[in-house]
Amino acid sequence: MPSDPDKVFPTGLTVGQAEELHSYLINGTRSFFMISALAHILAYILTPWLK
Amino acid sequence: MNRTSQRLMRGWLSLGPRFLPFADAASREVPLSRLLRLSMFQLSVGMALVLLVGTLNRVMIVELGVPASLVAIMLALPVLAAPFRALVGFRSDTHKSLLGWRRVPFIWMGTMTQFGGLAIMPFALLVLAGAGESGNAPLWIGHAAAALAFLLVGAGLHTVQTVGLALATDIAPEDKQPQVVGLMYVMLLVGMVGSALVFGWLLQDFNPGKLVQVIQGAAVLTIILNIISLWQQEPRNPDATRFDRRIPSFAESWNAFLADGPALRRLVVLGAGSIGFAMQDVLLEPFGGEVLKLSVASTTWLTATLAFGGLLGFATASRILGRGGDAFRMAAMGAAVGIPGFLMIAAAAPLFAPMLLSAGALVVGIGGGLFGHGTLTATMRHAPREQIGMALGAWGAVQATAAGLGMAAGGVMRDVMNSAAPVLGRATGYLLVYGIEVLLLLATLLAMWPLLRHGEPPVRNAAPAE
Repeated sequence: MPSDPDKVFPTGLTVGQAEELHSYLINGTRSFFMISALAHILAYILTPWLK
Repeated sequence: MNRTSQRLMRGWLSLGPRFLPFADAASREVPLSRLLRLSMFQLSVGMALVLLVGTLNRVMIVELGVPASLVAIMLALPVLAAPFRALVGFRSDTHKSLLGWRRVPFIWMGTMTQFGGLAIMPFALLVLAGAGESGNAPLWIGHAAAALAFLLVGAGLHTVQTVGLALATDIAPEDKQPQVVGLMYVMLLVGMVGSALVFGWLLQDFNPGKLVQVIQGAAVLTIILNIISLWQQEPRNPDATRFDRRIPSFAESWNAFLADGPALRRLVVLGAGSIGFAMQDVLLEPFGGEVLKLSVASTTWLTATLAFGGLLGFATASRILGRGGDAFRMAAMGAAVGIPGFLMIAAAAPLFAPMLLSAGALVVGIGGGLFGHGTLTATMRHAPREQIGMALGAWGAVQATAAGLGMAAGGVMRDVMNSAAPVLGRATGYLLVYGIEVLLLLATLLAMWPLLRHGEPPVRNAAPAE
């Protein structure tokens, strides 16, 4: 697919706008993984598994 | 950007707009049903608030055996995040975005923050209490984790509420603002009362596994409710979020906001009145139990009466303000109604009259409802078009900080007075607090006087976002 920054796709979004929407999703996913890592560490302190 | 990201991004481009979280081109007429859906974020905020001030307060002390002083410090942390609401509102007003969004990204971040805090909270609390094998871990881990969890929940709920109210102000037509404020308050109350009942019921026979399930369930519910609430609500307006526009500094913007007529006086009035109404919040039930010897069932009934009074207040204020009443007159009326309410509650002790106490709780509830509705509606009406987020952030910062401080001060004052000089027995501390509340509401009325005489300046944010 050619990437023309001003091309408007069927959604009505340009490439830049889709990138921005995507960045929100990626940030959400990153924070989700950080949270779950922290929760796992605490859960491990509470009841260590694989022991 | 790596290949997976690139492919996903292409996916967004080819999806139909139906599946994207934008509102269709701004229609001038936003139906009340859509505003009702928007107000659902208040359910998750109410749920988090109840968890913090009610459920966990008890669970940590009674079931987990954490020292009361440590619990008090932990529960104070979310209030510390409240003053930052003005800053969050400002950042939302000045957000740069190609999409033309400035509210949704913040509500989304706030939702994730609240979710994160709730997700780690049960483990943090159990480690704090030294449950399971966590007794072997260093003590600071439990403290740090619990503090982080409470801070995250506080920061998240303040962000969601501030920016959510700003979004409501953006899209609600001028004449529907009073109804929107009413909806927001009713939803908050429903969220608080409903989740208090559900949490109490679920945690009846307490065990650590249940605690994890309940709090993490609340975390998931937060995400679900907030996504339903903000889906396709904010119209895109890339012109208002251009990258090349001049962004004022926070100090500049804040000074401009305060320079606008009686803005500072409004905030002072709001703070004094909020403390006045909040100090009795945690005292009503112990007052009924300790001084009037009411059973637990009857004191729970008192809280329900207070909440019902609040509903009556919101309904009355919505109706009168919807017909074009003056919002500040409504807030003043609330303070004026609250004064006899507190006098009735205080008089119930020497007269030993539980009925008078219930009636007083109802009247205080009505007064608090009128006051809260009046001040929020006034804030929405006066908010400068470009500073809606900051105006509602300032309202929320003052209101939430005052409520938190008021609640803490009420409890401390009662304890200190009762142990230092119990001249009237167990009632002394309570009567002192009720007396101070009456004085604060009188001060609020006095400070409000100039606001009433000037009347309302012409409304500035008449046109909804294009």
